[in-house]
Amino acid sequence: MSEPSASAVDPLRPWPDTVQWRPVSPRLVTVELLGLAVWQVILLTGLGAGWWLGGQRVWPVLMGAVLFLGVWRATVAVRAVRAWGYAERDNDLMVRHGLVIRRLSIVPYARMQYVDVTAGPLERAFKLATVQLHTAAAASDARVPGLPPEEAARLRDRLTALGEDRAEGL
Amino acid sequence: MTDPGAVPPTPPPGVPQAYPGGPQGWPGGPQAYPGGPQGWPGAPGGWPGMGGGPGGVQEAPEVRERQRLHPLSPLLHGAKSLAVIVAALSWQTLGRLGLEHFAIVVLVFAVGAVIFSAIGWWNTGYQVVGRELRISDGLLWRRNRAIPLDRLQAVELRRPLLAQLTGLAELRLEVVGGGKTEAPLAYLSVQHASELRERLLALSARTRNESGGDAGPAAAAATGTAHEHPLFRVRNQNLLISQLLTPQAFLLPVGVAWVVVQFVLEGSWTFIGIASTVTAMAGVLLQPIRRVLRDWSFRLARDTDGRLLVRYGLLETRSQAVPLHRVQSIRITWPLLWRGTHWLYMRLDVAGYAAPQQGNDAGSDRLLPVGDEATARALIGTVLPGTDLAVLATSPPPRRARWLHPVGLRFMGVGLAPQVLVTRHGWLTREMTLVPYARLQSVRVVQGPLQRLFRLATVYADAAGGRSGAARDRDLAEAWAIADQLAVRSRQARQAPSPAPAPQAGPPVTPAPFAGPYGTPVPLAPPPGPLHPTAGPATTGPATTGPATAGPAATGPATTGPAGEADDDAFWRRPAGS
Repeated sequence: MSEPSASAVDPLRPWPDTVQWRPVSPRLVTVELLGLAVWQVILLTGLGAGWWLGGQRVWPVLMGAVLFLGVWRATVAVRAVRAWGYAERDNDLMVRHGLVIRRLSIVPYARMQYVDVTAGPLERAFKLATVQLHTAAAASDARVPGLPPEEAARLRDRLTALGEDRAEGL
Repeated sequence: MTDPGAVPPTPPPGVPQAYPGGPQGWPGGPQAYPGGPQGWPGAPGGWPGMGGGPGGVQEAPEVRERQRLHPLSPLLHGAKSLAVIVAALSWQTLGRLGLEHFAIVVLVFAVGAVIFSAIGWWNTGYQVVGRELRISDGLLWRRNRAIPLDRLQAVELRRPLLAQLTGLAELRLEVVGGGKTEAPLAYLSVQHASELRERLLALSARTRNESGGDAGPAAAAATGTAHEHPLFRVRNQNLLISQLLTPQAFLLPVGVAWVVVQFVLEGSWTFIGIASTVTAMAGVLLQPIRRVLRDWSFRLARDTDGRLLVRYGLLETRSQAVPLHRVQSIRITWPLLWRGTHWLYMRLDVAGYAAPQQGNDAGSDRLLPVGDEATARALIGTVLPGTDLAVLATSPPPRRARWLHPVGLRFMGVGLAPQVLVTRHGWLTREMTLVPYARLQSVRVVQGPLQRLFRLATVYADAAGGRSGAARDRDLAEAWAIADQLAVRSRQARQAPSPAPAPQAGPPVTPAPFAGPYGTPVPLAPPPGPLHPTAGPATTGPATTGPATAGPAATGPATTGPAGEADDDAFWRRPAGS
């Protein structure tokens, strides 16, 4: 840890010794893939209908593009889900995600304005939920998807308790 | 300015239907009030003049009567909508209808607008209850809002031209949340508006430092205006020159010439055509004139409670009170065309201001419309105590980032000053952003695909206003170190909220585990920074960051940038030894 050679720095894992990253549920992969499939079907049906009615060359090309993008998204879905991670430190919540554009957010509990727990229909079917921490800054980005309900509830309660504890707000 | 209706009439007791909440009062009830020791003033009767009667008012002296806005308000609103109506009908309609019919149509709409606003006025009321301002309005969709005054960010008193003629003013409260100004109270008489502002600010300040005791808002209001000392005044001459030195002003002759040529070539000199074109062009090209009118006679003052008072405007005067601890960030800009005059302008961000939009500067975020660096330095010293513009040093990203920014690289930089994060960027228009650690909301590290190729990353420091400080394209290890430092310093700054932090007696912040791979590859902040890696963040706490002891950084021989760039020294200052 003490040696700062740049090659040892992993963009997704800063401070590897001190921060205990928690992964999100692997079931999120299924949810993502299913969501992707639904969108694929909708888009392809629309484009296919266009092809059937219009008959121009554009439609099959577009369909191919959509299909290609879908397949590519599906191949990276597993890694994308693995890239999600969060860590509760003493004073702040850290969330990292993203493969192409890698993001890490550090949000102090004291700055919490409110916590959102949401679950869409697909997420609910797989017993998952999303926890999002909001601060007064619109740019803050602390969203943890793919949490089992009990973990989501635990995280929500902990965040709320810590937020109240150190409430600063602004 | 003396107005017979200075105190708006209280509603007659016979209008209970104005409050649908009924005698049970405000939803949420007294017990729900989360605030400090005073808590709810104990008026279970709800709105006075309704169910509570005089008894409730006596119990809680802070409950003022529900008040209406000034009776002239509907007329002013109607007059204001006149311009909108004319614009909506457009010049073409004028051409088709003829002047007479056009006037009739406009008049009908205007009368309608006045009647509409009159209904709105009748149903609008406001009231200060305890430490809340309550506003109710709406006829069909009734809305009652309670604005907790301890969340008050800034208060602005705005007087458009018509309001100036009639001795009225609009009071705008900025609270967090919502993209727009919440609860503009339009209109009140000037005296009443400034009294209300003093009272709201006094109430808001009292919740912050309880030591203020119960001197009472009235006392504060009485003394508040007396003890303000002026800080600075922008010379109107400078303002004029500065707005002549803008792209729009340079484009104006071109635009006029273009219009003239157009009409000469087409030979159509109709009034309507000219009017339409001029209207279309005016929006962009008259911006300098609008800015001059808006920032005319810009004055800054500070009152005894440490609030910043900003006053400006010619046709529409604005007077704004910003508690200093509500300032979220400051942005300093050196425009290209002002390079010769060594000028800059500054904006400050307060949470609750709408996010700044490009090209739309109707907001009230001015700290300095035009001024030189010495002025800026003095103002920053006032607004962010302990921060000296003259010693804020920034270091540029590593050399390899030039592949991403072939031109702009040496204009980018970041520095960790004792109290604020300093970031700068911009090639033609140079910008510097100061975000106090104490106001940081979150820290983000973002790495795009190209940045990954070069092992670079960008660190964002988000404040509650619309702006973030961005340390672009830092070496990855350095980016983590900056993020870590920001987290640690913002925590320390929060725990020592006063600008001159006392030594922490409490438990140490234990930042040691997060020390991060800070350091050797790239020299970062001013070397003597209190959290220098070799010293170990835990040992040198915030105790050394006080303004008096900011010595190491302050006295360090901060080097100026490339020779010949002396016009914006502060932008170029590098940490010593780089």
